[in-house]
Amino acid sequence: MIEDTHLIELKGVSRTFGTTQALKDINLYIRKREFVTLLGPSGCGKTTMLRIIGGFEYADEGQVLFEGKDIANVPPYKRRINTVFQKYALFTHLNVYDNIAFGLTLKKMPKDEIARRVGRMLRLVKMEGYEKRGVDSLSGGQQQRIAIARALVNEPEVLLLDEPLGALDLKLRREMQLELKSMQQQLGITFIYVTHDQEEALTMSDTVVVMNHGCIQQIGDPKRIYDEPKNAFVADFIGESNIISGVMIRDELCEMFGQEFPCVDEGFAPNEPVDIVVRPEDVMVVGEDVGQLTGEVASVIFKGVHYEMMIRTEAFAWKVHSTTMQPVGTRVGLTIVPFNIHIMHKAGGQ
Amino acid sequence: MKRSWFAYPYSLWMVIFTIAPMIFVVYFALTDTSGALSLSNMAAVGQETYLKILWRSLYLALICTVICLLLGYPAAYFLASKDFNKNQTLFVLILLPMWMNFLLRTYAMMSLMENQGIINTLLKAMGLEPVRMIGTEGAVLVGMVYNFLPFMVLPVHTSLKKMDQRVIEAAEDLGANPAQVFRRVTLPLSMPGVISGVTMVFMPAVTTFAISRLLGSGNFMMFGDLIDKQFLELNNWHFGSSLSLIMMALIIISISLLNKADPKGEGSAI
Repeated sequence: MIEDTHLIELKGVSRTFGTTQALKDINLYIRKREFVTLLGPSGCGKTTMLRIIGGFEYADEGQVLFEGKDIANVPPYKRRINTVFQKYALFTHLNVYDNIAFGLTLKKMPKDEIARRVGRMLRLVKMEGYEKRGVDSLSGGQQQRIAIARALVNEPEVLLLDEPLGALDLKLRREMQLELKSMQQQLGITFIYVTHDQEEALTMSDTVVVMNHGCIQQIGDPKRIYDEPKNAFVADFIGESNIISGVMIRDELCEMFGQEFPCVDEGFAPNEPVDIVVRPEDVMVVGEDVGQLTGEVASVIFKGVHYEMMIRTEAFAWKVHSTTMQPVGTRVGLTIVPFNIHIMHKAGGQ
Repeated sequence: MKRSWFAYPYSLWMVIFTIAPMIFVVYFALTDTSGALSLSNMAAVGQETYLKILWRSLYLALICTVICLLLGYPAAYFLASKDFNKNQTLFVLILLPMWMNFLLRTYAMMSLMENQGIINTLLKAMGLEPVRMIGTEGAVLVGMVYNFLPFMVLPVHTSLKKMDQRVIEAAEDLGANPAQVFRRVTLPLSMPGVISGVTMVFMPAVTTFAISRLLGSGNFMMFGDLIDKQFLELNNWHFGSSLSLIMMALIIISISLLNKADPKGEGSAI
């Protein structure tokens, strides 16, 4: 589905507000029909990046290319890009139909064609029969759908979505995530999606761009981002992690807590200090006498599908996810297979 | 503890100074000097002289409102714009007249526009012909606009200021150029403020007195002057009350018409 052409390309884009640098030298390309998610904590620059692509903000430095052409001087109303705004920004003086028809009437499209397209959009977002309703009378989820329909009806090349599901409850969020994804595939439109919710990013995206402090931390598909986080920030932000400060003795062998562990990573300097990341579900609880480490169960929380246990060893408290529960106070052994030990350069060093 | 009694002092005030006088107005309007029920005073309002004055009041108030809207909306728009947040001077300058009594302001206008007034003295000093301003309809209008303009600027400014900036961006995003954004989004969304401003200018303008007397040299008697004259000069409370009753009816009709245009009461001036 994804075409290998660079539809949008950011080259060395920077933006400073007063003394804070919101974006630092961003380089990124987005392919046609791709679902890209900009993921990061609030204040990481993801919304600024989206607003620059939409034309509501400008870059102090660098270029934004759309199909190879610099669009710095193209105002938002001339870009083939539409936006679903955070908190929707619907027109409260218009009813549902006129909200969705807004962009089409500006294009002076014939009335029957507008009616046809609005009707199709209402079906797509499952809001038929709401044409004459005022947007104030709709629930958050319904307003959300109208905001999506209002943008999609213009058949944009790119749809920008700024935390569009932020105001919805968990169940509705999950439903809408799947619906958005299927709409994107059905319509073949490029989506650029901003969120701080890592689960949302992993569920929906073709490509995830993890950001922090105005810099891109990692770009990759969801599985790669989760399985092979590039640094401790990504590992910590995407899912849960045990992050241990250790040393890479040589290829395929690291050391933590003065103890050697075989691993699969290579290419580090001998005895380089590194961050070692282990996912909680990758720590195996075994008998006390057969584990690489021994510890005592300090707490147990039931999480639905699994139990979350804190297991205290001599030097570290491990977060462990397991479907079988060990009572608090039990002495257990812990084992980590080499494949599940992820070695990362210390932040700042390379 | 019930909090409803917090409102009692005001309720008492209202009964004494609003409701009771209204009852008096109705009583005087519908009786004659002997105290007998009579519609003769009400009927007298229909005389051509008085209808002319009523018509003039409505006409001048309407023109004044239109001028205030044409001057006030752009000013409010500029004051609410992003470019302007740094400097509050202009805002204060627009509000400043509101902090002074309107009679004082009108006297000041008088001394500006008199035949031997400041403007004509300046014109003469520059070797130009003096202009007759005082006693013209134009002078009355200038006085009214000067007095009522802030009441247009404020509500419009408020409604523009509280407008969600993202809605404007959404319109741009959907392909509206700046003129289209204004006509299709900004203007309709600021209508509550406009309606509120129109109400707050038109109502006092139509009932105004003193301005026309001071700046119009008595040539342009307005409905407010007429009522004033019945009570204070001619001592005809019955006819004065009839005129007041007609005025009140007109105001109530105008308000209900304006409220129809703003059913949610978002402007909520009244």
